[in-house]
Amino acid sequence: MTSSRRRFLAWVGLLVAAFGLLVVAAVDRGGAESDSERVQRLADSYACPVCSGESVAESNAAVAATIRQFISDEVTAGSGDAAIRDRLIATYGVEVLLNPPAEGITTLVWILPVMLVVLGSVGIAAAVTRSSPEGTDPSAADRDLLEKARRMGR
Amino acid sequence: MNAILGFGFVALGLAASIFGAAGGAFALLSGRLYLLKTVRQWALLVLVAAVGAFVVMEVALFQRDYSLAYVSSVGSDETPALFNFAAIWSSLEGSILLWTLVLAFYLTAVVVKFRSRSNDPLLGWATVVMLVVCSFFFALMVGPANPFLTVDVPPGFSGPGPNPLLQNHILMAFHPPFLYAGYVGFTVPFAFATAALITGRVGEGWLLETRRWTVAAWGFLTLGIVLGAWWSYEVLGWGGYWAWDPVENASLLPWLTGTAYLHSVMVQERRGMLRVWNLSLLSATFTLTILGTFLTRSGVVESVHAFADGAVGPWLLAFFGVTSATSIGLIAWRGDQLRSPGAIDAPVSREASFLANNLLFGALAFVVLLGTVFPLVAEAWDGTRLTIGRPYFDSLGRPLGLALLFLMATAPVLPWRKASAEVLSVRLFWPAVLAVLSMAVALLLGGRGVYPIITFGLGGFAAGAAIRQVVLATRRQGWRGLVGRTNGGMIVHLGVVLLAVGIAASESYKSDRTVALGVGESASVEGHEFTYLEPGADVNDRRLRTFALIGIDGDDVYAPAVTTFFQAATRPVPTPSVKSGLTKDLYLVLDQIPDPDDDSIRLRVIVRPMVMWMWVGGALMGLGTVFALFPGRRRRGTEPVSAPIAVDDAAIELADEGDGRPDDRSVTDLSTESDVSTESDIEPEPSPVGGDGH
Repeated sequence: MTSSRRRFLAWVGLLVAAFGLLVVAAVDRGGAESDSERVQRLADSYACPVCSGESVAESNAAVAATIRQFISDEVTAGSGDAAIRDRLIATYGVEVLLNPPAEGITTLVWILPVMLVVLGSVGIAAAVTRSSPEGTDPSAADRDLLEKARRMGR
Repeated sequence: MNAILGFGFVALGLAASIFGAAGGAFALLSGRLYLLKTVRQWALLVLVAAVGAFVVMEVALFQRDYSLAYVSSVGSDETPALFNFAAIWSSLEGSILLWTLVLAFYLTAVVVKFRSRSNDPLLGWATVVMLVVCSFFFALMVGPANPFLTVDVPPGFSGPGPNPLLQNHILMAFHPPFLYAGYVGFTVPFAFATAALITGRVGEGWLLETRRWTVAAWGFLTLGIVLGAWWSYEVLGWGGYWAWDPVENASLLPWLTGTAYLHSVMVQERRGMLRVWNLSLLSATFTLTILGTFLTRSGVVESVHAFADGAVGPWLLAFFGVTSATSIGLIAWRGDQLRSPGAIDAPVSREASFLANNLLFGALAFVVLLGTVFPLVAEAWDGTRLTIGRPYFDSLGRPLGLALLFLMATAPVLPWRKASAEVLSVRLFWPAVLAVLSMAVALLLGGRGVYPIITFGLGGFAAGAAIRQVVLATRRQGWRGLVGRTNGGMIVHLGVVLLAVGIAASESYKSDRTVALGVGESASVEGHEFTYLEPGADVNDRRLRTFALIGIDGDDVYAPAVTTFFQAATRPVPTPSVKSGLTKDLYLVLDQIPDPDDDSIRLRVIVRPMVMWMWVGGALMGLGTVFALFPGRRRRGTEPVSAPIAVDDAAIELADEGDGRPDDRSVTDLSTESDVSTESDIEPEPSPVGGDGH
């Protein structure tokens, strides 16, 4: 077995291992979401109305504690995520959402970055392929020279 | 007295900047280059004025000279010396004063460093540009942000002192100056870029002249941001370090474009390409620092940092507009000279990966900018009020960040121009092994979830590539294998990996619980035992500090506290107490003082793994920056000056296939730095390892 073939097999092994580890990481999550995990997840996604940037989960402000308690009560009572969301929006306005909804003009904050990446990738791809200049393919004479150089080098 | 003296210095600074800029421009436009020597004197006068004004303000703070409006608003009789010194940058006018001081130091450093070339028009224009920027900041202090306004106060008056949040941690003495040294430092490469456009010398010379300055500014900005995050974590008591607050974002924006520039400039140095793009990145970096200052200082956004004062807003916005328009205009004017002489040969090559790097950094900067200003735009547009917070930045930033980690692993091992699969499979093999090992170890230690595990894997991959470079370089060159841009850069990369791993772990696996405890009671959280020993209080004439002594696992005692300041009409400030460790931090917060009746408390316990890795990573980034500033291996002999010559792919393959060394500088390496002046006192480009032919 040549060294390049061994290396190829080793790479295949590494890729398989990485994929397997990722599958374990994704699947083995320790069962369904518990109530307290759900409260944490929801509290992470709402903005503390009187702070800048902090979520309801992070903030020490009184109103954040009130909202945490509200979420906790609702989760215990078995309300769905959407119902909790609607009630919070009704009380504190749509700015209570840390994640801007993809509605109306706000859709732009989601679309524009994706467009930028897509257009940028296309642009770079075009620049890289367009610019493979003609005539850089080595001619037969070049190849001979290269062969000679190689033989001398070894 | 202080008011007159201080304002005198400010006026002197404004006059010196204007005369220096006008005189320099006149000398350059009229061709009387011998007059440029006088610009140096004006620049020194600017420094004298800035230092003078700063010292006068500090003296006034220490004298408790409340006849100055600024001192009466941020000074107090009780503030301890260190925080009294730092009080100068705790509000608008003083922070503009600090900005101007740092700018004056950079100006003087440029003038002194290049004193032997004062007749060079490029240097002349760069100095003029810096003086124009100085004039603007001095004008701010003469006009809307005058730090030396006076006010009548009753006898026995004592001010409120700085914002209480700004006076309970030593980091407040360091975070702002570092940040400003970074922000303001980008003025230097911006000035040289503008000068290159004006003089038409848009070749690569000015890049070499300013490379170290840019790297140093970047290092300061990096440390400033990390120190700010650390401060936020240690002081604000919310358990986090980055809130995507508009002002934090404003500091991140120039960092992102500056980082993109530091990478893409290498393509220009090597291949002469991307000239317009690099100039645009530098201009963007500088103008974004101004935009950041506008966001911070004009009160358009709400933030802990925002010193609301509408008056400077229009000035900063106008300056932002003028600098952007000037840069765009100059680039358009010189567009024909900026056409790149080279082309990219292959999609898998060092230069192509730098393009991808720039796209990702550009996209990140765009996401951060959009997320920061969009709520303002939407509200102005149709009154929509909305919040853009962590989930938004997370969901767009994560994929971009992971892609950058991937590039950090692959790009450093890629040769310039073209790579073969063979070369990659050899050079990336051990980094890939490290990647898989990292993932396995993370899983064994109980880590789950796709995002964090991918981050650990790619972190291992990138760390492997960086270590590989440093090991190969030190093996060949000894200690010199640690310094120079390439090797120092790899140390920075290692710091970034630690930072990324720390962020992924501390965000993904944090737990946050609040427990009610009476005196003597214990609670168990995440396998640790927390015992409430006793409440306590200490009081001085400035504040009342109420704390609870908490025993962790029996032995260590920690004291999270709530501090109430008497003078400032603010709500009590929770001061967390953190047990930091290499693997995890236990973060204790009291969100209110102990119950007056029975001394019971509600203790918030936040457990975050690997937070320490972020601070170590930040320090490593700073260290790597210092290493990158040292000259690397010197080039042999005289600099070959040559135009780009035809490509010889075959020879590259020949050089690359041989031994798998990180040998980018193959036999066909081309020097495109065609207009490096020979008497330049800047080190020539330190070559990556392995310059000698083989």
